[in-house]
Amino acid sequence: MANRLIDLVNITKSYDNNVILDHLDLYIRENEFLTLLGPSGCGKTTTLRIIGGFEQPDSGKVMFNGEDITSLPPNKRQLNTVFQKYALFSHMTIAENIAFGLKLKNKSKTYIDDKIKYALKLVNLDGYENRKPNSLSGGQQQRIAIARAIVNEPKVLLLDEPLGALDLKLRQDMQYELIRLKNELGITFIYVTHDQEEALTMSDTIVVMNQGYIQQVGTPEDIYNEPQNAFVADFIGESNLINGIMIEDRLVSFLDTKWKCVDEGFGTNKPVDVVIRPEDVILDTPDKGTICGTVTHVIFKGVHYEMEVTAGDFEWLIHSTQMHPAGEKVGIRVDPFNIQIMHKPESVDEEVAYSE
Amino acid sequence: MKRFLERCYIMIIFIFLYAPIITLIVLSFNNSRTRAKWGGFTVAWYSALFKNQAIMEALYNTLFIAIVSSAIATIIGTVTCIALCKMKTRSRSLLLGVNNIPMLNADIVTGISLMLLFISLGLRFGMQTIVLAHITFNIPYVILNVMPKFRQLNPHTYEAALDLGASPVYAFFKVVFPDILPGVLSGFLMAFTMSLDDFIITHFTKGAGVDTLSTKIYTEIRKGIKPEMYALSTIIFLTVFLLLFIINLAPVWKERRMRQKKTKHLAAKNYAVAILGFLLLIGFAAIFKSGSVETDSKQVIVYNWGEYLDPDVIDLFKEETGIEVIYDEYETNETMYPKIESGAAEYDVVCPSDYMIQKMIENDLLAEINFDNVPNYKNIDPNYYKQSKEFDPENRYSIPYCVGTVGILYNKSMVEEPVDSWNILWNEKYADNILMQDSVRDAFMVALKKLGYSMNSTNEKELVKAKEALIQQKPLTQAYVVDQVRDKMIGNEAAIGVIYSGEAIYSQRENENLEYVIPKEGTNVWIDSWCILKNAPNKENAEKFINFLCRPDIALMNFEYITYSTPNMEARKLIEDEDIRNSEIAFPDLSQYSKLETFQYLGEDADKMYNALWKEVKSR
Repeated sequence: MANRLIDLVNITKSYDNNVILDHLDLYIRENEFLTLLGPSGCGKTTTLRIIGGFEQPDSGKVMFNGEDITSLPPNKRQLNTVFQKYALFSHMTIAENIAFGLKLKNKSKTYIDDKIKYALKLVNLDGYENRKPNSLSGGQQQRIAIARAIVNEPKVLLLDEPLGALDLKLRQDMQYELIRLKNELGITFIYVTHDQEEALTMSDTIVVMNQGYIQQVGTPEDIYNEPQNAFVADFIGESNLINGIMIEDRLVSFLDTKWKCVDEGFGTNKPVDVVIRPEDVILDTPDKGTICGTVTHVIFKGVHYEMEVTAGDFEWLIHSTQMHPAGEKVGIRVDPFNIQIMHKPESVDEEVAYSE
Repeated sequence: MKRFLERCYIMIIFIFLYAPIITLIVLSFNNSRTRAKWGGFTVAWYSALFKNQAIMEALYNTLFIAIVSSAIATIIGTVTCIALCKMKTRSRSLLLGVNNIPMLNADIVTGISLMLLFISLGLRFGMQTIVLAHITFNIPYVILNVMPKFRQLNPHTYEAALDLGASPVYAFFKVVFPDILPGVLSGFLMAFTMSLDDFIITHFTKGAGVDTLSTKIYTEIRKGIKPEMYALSTIIFLTVFLLLFIINLAPVWKERRMRQKKTKHLAAKNYAVAILGFLLLIGFAAIFKSGSVETDSKQVIVYNWGEYLDPDVIDLFKEETGIEVIYDEYETNETMYPKIESGAAEYDVVCPSDYMIQKMIENDLLAEINFDNVPNYKNIDPNYYKQSKEFDPENRYSIPYCVGTVGILYNKSMVEEPVDSWNILWNEKYADNILMQDSVRDAFMVALKKLGYSMNSTNEKELVKAKEALIQQKPLTQAYVVDQVRDKMIGNEAAIGVIYSGEAIYSQRENENLEYVIPKEGTNVWIDSWCILKNAPNKENAEKFINFLCRPDIALMNFEYITYSTPNMEARKLIEDEDIRNSEIAFPDLSQYSKLETFQYLGEDADKMYNALWKEVKSR
């Protein structure tokens, strides 16, 4: 794997006795598309702003390429930021906006002009040089903000919920555009979002955060398929989260039924959380199910049907391309491989800090 | 119909709002010295205005103070806004609330507080104290205008600039400043307007020799406001009007500019040029001013009534003696006294009226004049020294400068019987045609004299009788007025009025039917005299100055300028116009009259009694 470019070492940050980041450790590798994902207030934006130099951590260090840059002001750092609300300079033209950083570096006029052309081409906005930011749509403005950042050839591009203000279709287009950009530029992207779909689509690595703690770090597949705790499971996609008892290796009991699974090493008769994704639940005739239930709701979602099935006192969420009408008795099965077992946190503190 | 009424209503409101100003503007083009007559259209007052050096100096001061104070306030206010933005919401709203209080505070409170602060800091009153005061009261207005612009600002634009490699200062000027510029400019203009407009605060914080237009106008109140001042007021009004116009129209212009993108570059350059121009102007002004501010011992600081000295006399004095005159003006004895007493400003020479001189002697504020150094004192009519003994018993503190009597002005075409007594003011034949002076002591003087008492009486019985006489007379009077006796009499609007002799001469010139009489029961002889202050820093120069003013040719110049009677006998002989030289009104032979008196300071208890009785009269 490529070497570590940025290292956050034991970062703590609080506002008014309100701890935002609590002893956070994180490294970011070169050429990585890393996403900080979490609900609002989880500390993801603060982490980004500490990397960008807009905030100082109360304690801890920010290392860049092996150098301590903790106290370096933003204008001295080799990274650029794309802000949530574009933050374009409204009294300057697009060309002037893009040239802002280059002029400060005393680049020649021809160099600057070439760069402007190149950057506008890169974001598919050729010919917009003399427009004013206010005459552009939100998506266009966001692309200009990206162009303004990348002409400076930063080693790292920080993106703070850049697509948050765009509508759904535009957001999806921009996701592909960002992936393309990242591949063309070959630089590191650090991306902040609360949108799990965005994170899953674009990232090489996802860092799930909650209340100032990292919950899980991993590839999108890891995060989705093997959430390490209930928070991650709940936050990433939809899931059935059930209290269970790990009877022994590869055998778990929940909903008064014993299920085969593939997890080991939890000990015997330990309380655990069981996660089953809605699309992993197989509906069949009642005689073929591990347990039985009755369909209570059906909604057509386009790609699949979303159904609720009551079995005992638990309500299953199930996605399936096969429709079962409400009132029908069904059997429920789950492939042992798709039963995800997680430790139960023993205290609130552990609940948020579990993965560490 | 409803619409019509609505329009009428709005029309009436606007007429109420603008009628006074329109009257002023119309009068500023009136080719007649009095308000009562329309003498045709003229711009003479405007040209006279621009030739008047004192007014031009005041105009310069006003602009200097307005520009410097609003520029500094703009800088301080804008910086404050930056700090406010970084604050937490609670402390910010608290501070903004605190910021709003001075704007709502009464000017007089602000003015007095600043004066007291400056005194306790030991600052010398002058231009610098006015500028400081103006900066102080301007800052809230700047914050009020700039803060909303900061609120509208995307906080990330500044960070984006830093992120792109800009230093904090560069980022502020390149990125933040253009966005808040409209607010900064309107803040500056608002502050400029407020500064231009201010009278009260300036009045309390100014020192000797510095006048702004508003204080200058106010000092002229005693002698009646001259038409030049109408012209000046018109110009001030139009200036303020224009500034407000610009403040309110700037956003509209900006919008229009946004539509015509090509001119935008030019506009940005215009902004830059305008700001540069302002800075240059401030620079020049500062250099010019620093050249003229000096603390030379070759100076004398004079505190005088407004319009009470020919400005040429000051130049002549400097030419002959090399002594610089720092000249300051006041409008009433009562505004002069606290300034002297507080020691807020240093003065050498002051020109109070009779009773005030007595009060100042009693409070040990005056220095004895060394008459050996003022040989010209002999030119003054001994009768006036004798009369002065009422307030300066040994003639040690004062030398009379301007004098006059109070008498009856009547219109010969309306009054046929001979007038020689105050009793005519009680004659029912002239009901509704009698004008009285609207001031306690003047009104009681008339009544007391009519009853044969002293006008300085503190005897309660006598005063109550005088009060009753006034109440009895009141239904007959047309009005109690301050300085309108002159105009009303000239305009034939009343038959009889109580008037000061100086005004009487002027009135006679305008209306030949008017006649002035000193009643046989005696009257008030008022005397304004030069005095030297106890703590005068330049006592010798002060004596030289007074001696200079007593020189016949100089006294003549002042007489011709002020037109109030001079007690200077030698000067009188030099008057060319025979009518004036021999005028009984201007130069009454005091020895011919009996029962002449001069106002005395009666003490606080008597003052209270007078005021209480006066209230009774007025409330009837």
